[in-house]
Amino acid sequence: MVWHIFKKDWKLLWVFVLAAASLHWIGSFIVFKLGMFGEETSLSMLSFWIPELAIFGSMFLIAAIVHLEAIPGTRQDWLTRPVPRGILLLEKFLFGLIAVEGPIFISSVFQGLANGFSWRSSLLAALSRVVFLLFFLVLPIFAFASITRNMTEAFIMGCGCTFILGAFLILAGSVNTWMHNTLLGVTHTGIGWIGEVFRFFLVAIAATIILGLQYYRRKTTAARLWLIGFGLLLLASTFLPWEPAFAIEERLSPNRGAGKSTQLAFEPSEEKFKSPFGLLASAESDKRRESREAAEVYLPLRIAGTGNDSILLVDRADVHLIDRSRGSYYHGLGDTFSLAREGSNPQEESLYQQIDIPAPIFRKVADESSKIRIDYSLTLFGLNKSYSLAALDGDERMPGWGWCKTALNESGTAVEVRCMEPGKGPICASIFLENSLSGARDPAVSACLSEYRLFGDRPMSDNVARFGVNLPFRDKSGLTKFPVDGSQLPHSRVVIRMYEPEDHFTRSLDIPGIKLKDWQAQ
Amino acid sequence: MIRVSDLWRKFGRFETLRGLSFEVPDGSAFAIIGANGAGKTTTIKVLMNILEPTQGSATVLGVDSRKLSIRELAQIGYVSENQDMPSRLTVEEYTNYLRPFYSTWDRDLERTIAKQLRLPFDRKIGNLSHGMRMKMALMCALPYRPKLLILDEPFSGLDPLVRDEFMEGLLGQAGEMTIFISSHELGEIDGVATHIAFVDEGKLLFQESMSDLTGRFREIRVILEGVATRPSDAPKEWMAMQLTGNVLTFVDTQFDEAGLRELVRSRIGNVRMIDSQPMPLRSIFTTLARAARDGSA
Repeated sequence: MVWHIFKKDWKLLWVFVLAAASLHWIGSFIVFKLGMFGEETSLSMLSFWIPELAIFGSMFLIAAIVHLEAIPGTRQDWLTRPVPRGILLLEKFLFGLIAVEGPIFISSVFQGLANGFSWRSSLLAALSRVVFLLFFLVLPIFAFASITRNMTEAFIMGCGCTFILGAFLILAGSVNTWMHNTLLGVTHTGIGWIGEVFRFFLVAIAATIILGLQYYRRKTTAARLWLIGFGLLLLASTFLPWEPAFAIEERLSPNRGAGKSTQLAFEPSEEKFKSPFGLLASAESDKRRESREAAEVYLPLRIAGTGNDSILLVDRADVHLIDRSRGSYYHGLGDTFSLAREGSNPQEESLYQQIDIPAPIFRKVADESSKIRIDYSLTLFGLNKSYSLAALDGDERMPGWGWCKTALNESGTAVEVRCMEPGKGPICASIFLENSLSGARDPAVSACLSEYRLFGDRPMSDNVARFGVNLPFRDKSGLTKFPVDGSQLPHSRVVIRMYEPEDHFTRSLDIPGIKLKDWQAQ
Repeated sequence: MIRVSDLWRKFGRFETLRGLSFEVPDGSAFAIIGANGAGKTTTIKVLMNILEPTQGSATVLGVDSRKLSIRELAQIGYVSENQDMPSRLTVEEYTNYLRPFYSTWDRDLERTIAKQLRLPFDRKIGNLSHGMRMKMALMCALPYRPKLLILDEPFSGLDPLVRDEFMEGLLGQAGEMTIFISSHELGEIDGVATHIAFVDEGKLLFQESMSDLTGRFREIRVILEGVATRPSDAPKEWMAMQLTGNVLTFVDTQFDEAGLRELVRSRIGNVRMIDSQPMPLRSIFTTLARAARDGSA
């Protein structure tokens, strides 16, 4: 009977199915044609809009599938027919999977294969994308459409929900700013995926309840109330606090305890931080102008025990300013930074924790003795693999890292390294130019993301991660000299040192009796 | 076949059904009549479990309407004037789609009905006229020989020719099935219904067999010796009383020939002649509707 209803739905919707599928396929083809360096601006624009349009088309299609046998209303002929409700629900779900997710799956697999990746990695990446879309597109729209009579009602209610969501995000963003970025917890952070998994469950439970209520009992009012309730829970999930989420991440550490000897200490013997001049002065003064409502305090730090060939990344620095009479009078987030210890004898560099303190608070307490407590959430990355490819016109496929190409940039000042990998892609590397003959190296560019999700999250275009860096070898002003300059490029290689997270852990730093004014940036 | 007891249905604060109760005997052709907005369609939607009652209950084929399963739905035919069917399917595609849901679907009967109703099988439902759509709805409700056929305002908006074709199709296949029909087109019900219920503003005014109803309603014409005056103690069964010169006319809703003469003489006085005429259903309906509107029913 499922197949029987499916055939009827196909007869009615095949044009829409084909239209939505075509959009996905065209989008995928454009992204493929755009290639690694994406130089064609017209294609670049289309590569953004077509996939967006395709997702919108898929949303429309899901609603259309449901509305063929709309549940609210009193005029539908099917309500008076002996159509088994469970079978109908199953058919709608399967139709959604095949007609909506099928073309997306095909376009994702195409994207992987066309770029020369293996069947396995292409299929896994495509599967990850359709599972992601199942929870964040198919099920929510399916449940939402089941409580609406027709497309017009769905569109109006959808606009209402979008407006509420937009208003909520603006409000939450404003309150978050007022609370010095401490309100939104894990949202938009490396452990935001924990919130997303929580939302997966919420969506799955909400869809089960709403679809059950609608298809088996036709309780539209109750289903709408459930939708509102779950919608509020989904909104509330953006406030998922950092500490318990990071505790989960700690438990998931691949090599738990690897960071146990890591120590952080305040290093007052270091000289006060001075803002850089020269090339960076202009950008720095812009930043200062923007943040003139905040005083920048730089606390010198010493970090020990991270070991060689490792990168320590600060995922979050939770700052509390405390004094005896007022208790904790400021709670905000300090800037995050990373510390790379590369090679067998890494160079020690001065390290500062930047804290932007609102000017009114700073003015009040600048000369007073305060206590600062910083709760660090840290991730220690260990060297996993090392690859290299020619600095000019390099083209290599590197297992675990992806497919990379190199090219000279237009102004002839840097080597562009562009890579792609199906799935979520690597998250941490240090990349530098090395002369293969002399062994000379340019300064490494460390690119580490605080991003620990277990799955890809690119529902729009495809599930191929694209990433890259520019490695400068010439300074047009002549102020900076690079050990590997343009003349050495034919003999040089781009070295990619790939790091993987080993341990997530926390450290607390207590600095008693400190005068903030002493550490304000000069 | 159908039992409705103390049925209430509210839409917001508006009460569409207000304690409706009636019973539909097996094998009858039961007509529920009433003005627009009386609650006929709401009653049918409750019977079909399209709407839930706010209070009270309705049983259909022995099952609470709220618990109608596919087993019962497979034995019920439903035709409504405002039935949404997939407009982009052709008549043939839709009947092909419906067929497997009914284990008792008779293809020969389907062909016979289609031929009788002269339906264009290759035309899309969305391109059918209202009359064609009604005929198609009837064709989709009969081939599985339902035990109960529910018709909601089936004649509304049909021209006489289509109406006749519809009735021929219906009556030709009626057999043993129970028919529950709502209408305000009384002329059409006159020859079909065996039982009748009259609803007004969600309340049942009466329910009885057609023969009893037509038997107890009479239009009475009384010619008096002198000028007629309205009797102050007229029984409440006398409705729509009118005076013209020495002629008094009214509708007797509990007609009893012998009793009437005595009653008229005792209440009115010098009577020259009493004449009683059977009433068509339409007149009975309008009398009751007016009385209900005036609050005297």
